[in-house]
Amino acid sequence: METKTGDPLIRLGLLEEALNLARANSLWPLTFGLACCAIEMMAAGMARFDLDRFGAGVFRPSPRQSDLMIVAGTISKKMAPAVVRLYEQMPAPKWVIAMGNCAISGGPFYYPNQYAIVPGADLIIPVDVYIPGCPPRPEAIIESILMLEEKITKRGRLRKFRNVKG
Amino acid sequence: MLKDKIQAALAPLNLAQVSDGDYSKTGYHLEVAAAPGQMPAVAQALLEAGCFLESLTAVDLRESFTLVYHFASFDELCRTVVRASLAKETQEAQPPTISRVYPGADWYEREVYDLFGIKFAGHPNLKRLLLPEDADFHPLLKDFGAEPKND
Amino acid sequence: MIELGIEEKSYTLNLGPQHPSTHGVLRVLLTMDGEYITKAEPVIGYGHRGHEHMAENRNYQQFLPNMGRVDYLHALAYNQGYCMAVEKLLGLTVPERGEFIRVILSELNRISSHLVWIGAYLLDLGAFTPILYAFDDREHILDLLDRITGSRLTYCFYRFGGAPRDLDEEFITGARAFIKRLRSRFGDYESLVTKNVIFINRTRNVGIITREQAVKYGLTGPTLRGSGIAYDIRKSEPYSAYPAFDFQIPIGSKGDVFDRYLVRILEMEQSLRIVEQALDKLPNGPIMADKVPKRLKPAAGEVYQAVESARGEFGCYIVSQGDIKPYRIKLRVPSFGNLSILPEVAVDTLVADLVAILGSMDLVIPEIDR
Repeated sequence: METKTGDPLIRLGLLEEALNLARANSLWPLTFGLACCAIEMMAAGMARFDLDRFGAGVFRPSPRQSDLMIVAGTISKKMAPAVVRLYEQMPAPKWVIAMGNCAISGGPFYYPNQYAIVPGADLIIPVDVYIPGCPPRPEAIIESILMLEEKITKRGRLRKFRNVKG
Repeated sequence: MLKDKIQAALAPLNLAQVSDGDYSKTGYHLEVAAAPGQMPAVAQALLEAGCFLESLTAVDLRESFTLVYHFASFDELCRTVVRASLAKETQEAQPPTISRVYPGADWYEREVYDLFGIKFAGHPNLKRLLLPEDADFHPLLKDFGAEPKND
Repeated sequence: MIELGIEEKSYTLNLGPQHPSTHGVLRVLLTMDGEYITKAEPVIGYGHRGHEHMAENRNYQQFLPNMGRVDYLHALAYNQGYCMAVEKLLGLTVPERGEFIRVILSELNRISSHLVWIGAYLLDLGAFTPILYAFDDREHILDLLDRITGSRLTYCFYRFGGAPRDLDEEFITGARAFIKRLRSRFGDYESLVTKNVIFINRTRNVGIITREQAVKYGLTGPTLRGSGIAYDIRKSEPYSAYPAFDFQIPIGSKGDVFDRYLVRILEMEQSLRIVEQALDKLPNGPIMADKVPKRLKPAAGEVYQAVESARGEFGCYIVSQGDIKPYRIKLRVPSFGNLSILPEVAVDTLVADLVAILGSMDLVIPEIDR
């Protein structure tokens, strides 16, 4: 499991692998759209780009019921405490995807005199996957879910053709 | 004509300037200059003429502020801009609010206070609107922050 | 009468800033008496990114991409408003084909914005099917716009003086096919939503806005037109190529939520008419004005340019002092006025009605917060 929660107390061996496979294939994201990227996240969940076929289509409005937080949009300084609080309310194991340039590093709004935003989600919460783009295409969001699955299960999607070390 | 009606309504108020605007260059039909203290009367006159408040903002001209009010009408095209100059030293002489006449100005004046620090006398709820409540700076002042390095 | 000594305390409910409605980050502090709301106070600023401050630190070309992010759902209208304001300061005239291209793309963007609104609004009210239909139709528009502009959502396509890229044959045939397709889908929307008994019960006679309130709060857009006032910048203060087209402004009669919904559905049909006429009448010629200076130094002065976006009137107020950077830019956004009426309209309604009213105003919070 991830080192975020430390080494597990009990090692369950093969059961861990099965649990990780289950967690990876049924990620429940938190509806956390802050700005423009939220619309592309919605479009990724809709009929054409269907996130549901990867198990990640059940968007939960409450952080207590979700295990993935997709930070979609710019984090303003007024909103930052709320982001941290939502992250803390999610039960472990939990993952964070920083979607869009604003969540990675402040995006188009970062310049020397900026007073209003937090330039990057990883300044306040730990991030697992970064999706660049302004906004990223829904295909990129799907790719990020698949990369997160690889990170959770520590095995590549196409094991014969890729070398993924977990 | 709405423009004549507005000019007639503003005539008894003895404003500094009421003149025609160059619509194709600036987008204004009427340009008015008033003192900040006359604004509630000007707003009342324009409300009775049937105008709505399009926008309320301020410009920091380094030695003074200018409050800029835009009015327009649903029925006929006539955009009026009212400019009120506010000296910077006389912070006690705060401009009166027009939110008794136009309740929509409530939020616009809070935004001007938030971004420029201009307080409006008689405002029902003058708190910050966009920045966090405990912020201690007004970002759109010209002397806010360091000079930008290069662009 | 014996006083039982029971105190009635009102209950404070905090709605947001993270909540399942997809408006963005809005927080509404509700003071409630049982299920009825006695006071609703919106708290904004959670999406404040400092656009107006950025404007003073960037030159005119560098500020153009910001306009797509202010209201990302109808970004092309904001692009158009800003470009037209700067063109007025510079004294540039956009050639006719450039204006037609701007109108076609802007109207397609308006339709996609209304489709997002329909989908998200019905999702708020609890219906899941319409959002799938609406987003599917929207994907077709996005394919067309992607071909020409290169982006799906936050466009930055117009330039000072016209448009940088021309429409091609495939776009025109695709647009005509899309017009036919969307017209055939309106029947689906009508039977799924407009005639749905549950929807009518949730939206009829809810959230009525009167004309006096509209004038005092400066409402614009479909929120205003639902109350029976026919104010649309495209007809009241025509700009660009709109005088060449024949279209109507749908208005409501009662000013309730259902009227505002109906206004938006009918507006989509009118936008299709505009696109159709524009494609038929598309003139040949250049798409950019000639002699656009590379280093833009507009003359000192002020300009206010209003355009009609999907949410209402967007006004771009630019103060220039003859420098390469603007001295002050104020973005007058429609959702600012539309949200400020909420404390008055939401009194004595149920929380469920508040969701219906809030959604019917079609707010985009990053636009309010700028």
